[in-house]
Amino acid sequence: MRLLFALAWRNLWRHRRRSLITAAAMSIGVGLCMAMMALTDGMGGTMERVMVDQRLGHVQLHHPDYPGKRVMYDTLPDTIVAEVEGTAGVRATSGRLFGGALVGTSERSTGAQLVGVVAERERDMSQVADRISDGTYLGDTPDKGILVGPGLIDKLGLSVGQQLTMMTQAADGSIGNENYTVQGVFRTGDSAMEKAGIYMHLSDLQELLFLPGQVHEVVALTTEAGTEGALATTLKGQLGGEPAPLVRTWSEADPQTAEMLGMMEGQAAFMLIIVFSVASIGVLNTMLMSVFERTRELGVIKALGMKPRSVVVLILFESVCLGLLACAGGLALGGLLDWYLIAEGIDFADSSGQGISSGGVMFDPVIYGVFETYHVVATVVCVLGVSVFASIWPAWRAARLRPVVAMRTD
Amino acid sequence: MTRLMPLILLLVGGPALASEPTLEQLLDATDDVARGESSEVVIEMQVKTKRYERTMRMHAWSRGEDHSLIKIEAPAKDAGITTLRVEDNIWNYLPKVDRVVKVPAGMMSGSWMGSHFSNDDLVNGSRYNEDYTSKMLAKPGESYGGATTENYVVESIPKPDAPVVWGKVHIEVRPDLIPVRVAYYDEGGDLARTMTFTDIKEMDGVMTPAVMTLTPSGDDGEFTRITYVSLDYDVDIDDSFFTLQALK
Repeated sequence: MRLLFALAWRNLWRHRRRSLITAAAMSIGVGLCMAMMALTDGMGGTMERVMVDQRLGHVQLHHPDYPGKRVMYDTLPDTIVAEVEGTAGVRATSGRLFGGALVGTSERSTGAQLVGVVAERERDMSQVADRISDGTYLGDTPDKGILVGPGLIDKLGLSVGQQLTMMTQAADGSIGNENYTVQGVFRTGDSAMEKAGIYMHLSDLQELLFLPGQVHEVVALTTEAGTEGALATTLKGQLGGEPAPLVRTWSEADPQTAEMLGMMEGQAAFMLIIVFSVASIGVLNTMLMSVFERTRELGVIKALGMKPRSVVVLILFESVCLGLLACAGGLALGGLLDWYLIAEGIDFADSSGQGISSGGVMFDPVIYGVFETYHVVATVVCVLGVSVFASIWPAWRAARLRPVVAMRTD
Repeated sequence: MTRLMPLILLLVGGPALASEPTLEQLLDATDDVARGESSEVVIEMQVKTKRYERTMRMHAWSRGEDHSLIKIEAPAKDAGITTLRVEDNIWNYLPKVDRVVKVPAGMMSGSWMGSHFSNDDLVNGSRYNEDYTSKMLAKPGESYGGATTENYVVESIPKPDAPVVWGKVHIEVRPDLIPVRVAYYDEGGDLARTMTFTDIKEMDGVMTPAVMTLTPSGDDGEFTRITYVSLDYDVDIDDSFFTLQALK
């Protein structure tokens, strides 16, 4: 075996240039694959963090009739938030109340979407706190401060510190009305909210809508990734109430986002397939050439008593050596590219310097690579696998050579 | 089209006629329920929905067809909230926050004060004789809706450019020109809501239905009922009364 390996290694270097070119081509494939996957993983991670952790939450609770219809009266008691918080495996949780109102100053008015949140809790749950373009985030104690989207700011000619009057129909049929102070402007990339949205203190909105102690939505984040299904099951069993709340994981609540994130993983696999089908043809070509060239030589070896099985092993070894060479080069190149992507990232900012807005959320303009060990391992395994696979046919041909015929060729 | 304002301002029912009323007379009678050159009324508005039931007491003034002011007097929680309507515009004054908020065009179809009336109902100035094409469906003694009616029944279909959301309207008027019922059908021909006029009595010298009930179809048990507590015509109101300053 050792002899065969030594033989294979030396055979490889008999056509130094050809072997190196093939190995180099594969190396570049490996390196680019690694870089692309690092970037895709980085993007996927960012998207998941922003869309799932910061918008959907891992597990969502609603009144069973609320999703779809969004009727004001289909609420959950806000005591559920404490119950969810006390459940094992929950990292953070928050309750939200939604509503609509006529908002305006003495000059202008328009319709607005209201989202009532607990300022402190929402910090962990959404990106609003980090995306205040003007003014400040909501204070920890309800003080009738509100965060207004840029759309309303422009439409109503508002500025931070100004008063805004809200008028709406409360749950008991009365006319809810109150003055609020614009405390900050948010830019979250959520187009609907940016156009006509207002974030306000949960208790302020409960008062305005006359829905004391009620929320429309409770979202929870899990302590560990991938445990949302288990948490949803636990909560389903644990939470009572009439009617029992509808408990859904984020992928159940928003199948489109789940599908989109799943596609990113698919993209990585697709890329691997393309790169390595090309690589395998390169290996096949190299190995076939080398077998054809050496017909006479192989005939002699076989005539001297080498078993067909050993010939197969010899050719496979040659190919694997080529693969190992490619891996070494590829890991070096890929490592370098990964290092750059992880350290520096790629800046996708548009001319305005804003983040990228996609699917109703804003992303950081700089996407950083992420080193996923299993993706790198997968790449290496693929290279070696392809090397073996592509040499099967040449090896089989070599093993089938009849020494007498083979030695006659030149 | 229902016009809450004329309703609130109450109709001036014409005197009983010896001869058969014309289509125009029937429609004008319906349009001009509680409408005088100027008026001052006190009404109670009872709103019943699946979720809540409440009664508001309001004081309203009007002049002509397009100036009116409605002030809520009870319950205490909403007292002082005032709606000013001048032509197609509506402003609400909110005493709690001491602000006037104009109702924007996009919210005109929204509910007015939690009732089944929309803001549009408040401002709509269409008249059956001008904005609709009408025909007589039935006369007293003839059959309408599977029964013999005692009233005149007129079908009015809005003209293409009329500012009206309905597909057609069926109006029932008594021979003495007091409206009984107005049925509003949507553009698909389904009944959307019905307004009934009851409790006919003399108010400020005019026979007037003192109770008007708006019932949306389909929502079982929901209605908005307006009851006239008092009604005075030809009161002396100045132009400046219907201004934003006066609103406060």
